[in-house]
Amino acid sequence: MSMSDGPKPLQTSKSAQGTAEAESHGVPPGSSAAVARPRRTFGAWSDKWREMPRTKQWLVLLPVVVLAFLLPLMDIPLITTEPGNDWPLACQAMAIFALVAVGLNIVIGYAGLLDLGYIAFFAVGSYTAAMLTSPDSAFIKIPYLWTIPVAIAVSMFVGVLLGLPTLRLRGDYLAIVTLGFGEIVRILATLIPAMKGQPGFQNVGHPPGVGDDGVPVFANNNGTPWYWLTLVILIIILFLVGNMERSRVGRAWIAIREDEDAAETMGVPTFKYKVWAFALGAGVGGLAGAIMGGQVGFVNNQKFDVVTSILFVAAVVLGGSGNKVGAIVGGALVAYIPLRFTAIAEYKFLIFGVALIIIMIYRAQGLVPARQRLLAYGTKAYADVKRKYGKASHRADTTPQSTAEGASS
Amino acid sequence: MTLLEMKNVSVHYGRIEAIHDMSFTVEEGEIVSLIGANGAGKTTTMKTISGLLNPSGGSIKFMDEDITKMKAHIRVVQGISQAPEGRGIFPAMTVLENLDMGTFGRKDRSGVSDDLERVFTLFPRLKEREKQFGGTMSGGEQQMLAIGRALMSRPKLLLLDEPSMGLAPQFIRQIFKIITEINGQGTTVLLVEQNANQALARAHRAFVLETGAITHSGTGKELLANPAIKEAYLGVG
Ligand SMILES: Nc1ncnc2c1ncn2[C@@H]1O[C@H](COP(=O)(O)OP(=O)(O)O)[C@@H](O)[C@H]1O
Ligand SMILES: [Mg+2]
Repeated sequence: MSMSDGPKPLQTSKSAQGTAEAESHGVPPGSSAAVARPRRTFGAWSDKWREMPRTKQWLVLLPVVVLAFLLPLMDIPLITTEPGNDWPLACQAMAIFALVAVGLNIVIGYAGLLDLGYIAFFAVGSYTAAMLTSPDSAFIKIPYLWTIPVAIAVSMFVGVLLGLPTLRLRGDYLAIVTLGFGEIVRILATLIPAMKGQPGFQNVGHPPGVGDDGVPVFANNNGTPWYWLTLVILIIILFLVGNMERSRVGRAWIAIREDEDAAETMGVPTFKYKVWAFALGAGVGGLAGAIMGGQVGFVNNQKFDVVTSILFVAAVVLGGSGNKVGAIVGGALVAYIPLRFTAIAEYKFLIFGVALIIIMIYRAQGLVPARQRLLAYGTKAYADVKRKYGKASHRADTTPQSTAEGASS
Repeated sequence: MTLLEMKNVSVHYGRIEAIHDMSFTVEEGEIVSLIGANGAGKTTTMKTISGLLNPSGGSIKFMDEDITKMKAHIRVVQGISQAPEGRGIFPAMTVLENLDMGTFGRKDRSGVSDDLERVFTLFPRLKEREKQFGGTMSGGEQQMLAIGRALMSRPKLLLLDEPSMGLAPQFIRQIFKIITEINGQGTTVLLVEQNANQALARAHRAFVLETGAITHSGTGKELLANPAIKEAYLGVG
């Protein structure tokens, strides 16, 4: 909780209070406090962005997307992780972490549920892919690509299963309980014979296709095709999440994050929506796990520890909790830094832990501040609400300063 | 007609009893005030009516229907709406978005824009600040927003928990005036206050709450005239 609903709005409310209260004594309203919002560089960008029409947004996005696709082919000095780590594989790791962060952001950033055991769903996804494709598994085998929807479904199911008994807890209590989730999966993997403990599963499947040289296109060490696959999936997920955050569901999540009791008394079935956030987040986590399992080709119980789970949280919070773009940046950075600076890789938990604390103390909104509402409502959503009330707004729209403000936006 | 009936309601926090065997009614069209010192159990009573707390004993009826076990998010659809203590607005949402949240449980979309107009007429300030974030508004404006948001569900019973708390005097007067106006438009109001003077003056009937139990009841005027209440709550000896 405390991570996502950062103290910023409250602080502003206190500082703005004086101004606004003074105004009520006869100073014309709307003069200063109405526009007294915290301005930041990124904030101004996101303002501009939200005010752009959809088609224009796509035009701006297009080169970004093209660049993203070309990333593993551009082995730029200083930026590259080589010679220490293969660059395309590093790109793949960044994409996976970005995907994880986007999924966890639904849970932490939107719904305000501090889930410290997100690794559990990542593990469920990995195991689903492994157990349905690896020759070491006694299960039926299906083509790798089919394991992806199965992994999503299974991890969503596990999300609901873990969410139902725990989501009645709030704040720190929930965080403590979720901390155990990751451990549960790891311990089950050790205890259940079919999950094969430490020996695990070798030769996890991968998508079809063989190159001219007879080597599979999606070989474990061939980062570029894996990265492209992950990127396509990431873009699809971003599109879905984007639509969701502008929907009724998104509004309900933000309301829950900001004030759960108030949301409930507004008619939001808070428990149901929290379970949904948990399940959808779990689905994305499982999806990322399935891709990871396929790419690495080996899944065992050593890969899913609580510390990595905290790293996931760090990715979300560093990037700017509640903001998809922030989540991608955060996820990519958390993967990139240890791969690029191999000398400090050993200390990554320490580094990101300290960064996490610093961000939470000094800049609760992360590197790319969402200015919070962005997550709930972009301009588009605001316009939707506005349109809904078109009649009333129009009729009551007689005050000069409101028209002026409308024109300036 | 009796809109709300509390019958022998008790509420516990763990093993601590905050409300003991409380019974009272709210009739349609009334303003009923509930006054009492800090910690008397006023907020607990409100949360029990809105459904955020479950009573450990007794029953609650709303429009002759037993709602004792009904979830809070269903109660708002039935017509109980709450402006909580401390306002509980959504700081990262704009004024308009906050108001829109008030319609979340509503089934009829058609009346929504009329209700928005009503809220903007009651609180022109909210119209002026339509695009401002809830969190950057002054305390008085936030209180207006909380009441306006509660009205957006078109409630039959409006629960107001200390609407005057922490407000500048001119805001307090304005808020109480608007409460009377809302009531005049046909909404029944249950008002919780420490500001006993105004709350009693505006109320048709009132109850005094002391450590979880009702100790006095009567019309607002009767309680205003009661010497014991004068001494304890009205700051005159
Ligand atoms: N969450 C809680 N847990 C335990 N006790 C509580 C809680 N909330 C309120 N109480 C106790 O219940 C009593 C009534 O509180 P409340 O209803 O908030 O009083 P009021 O609104 O009249 O000031 C107080 O003694 C208070 O300490
Ligand atoms: Mg109270």
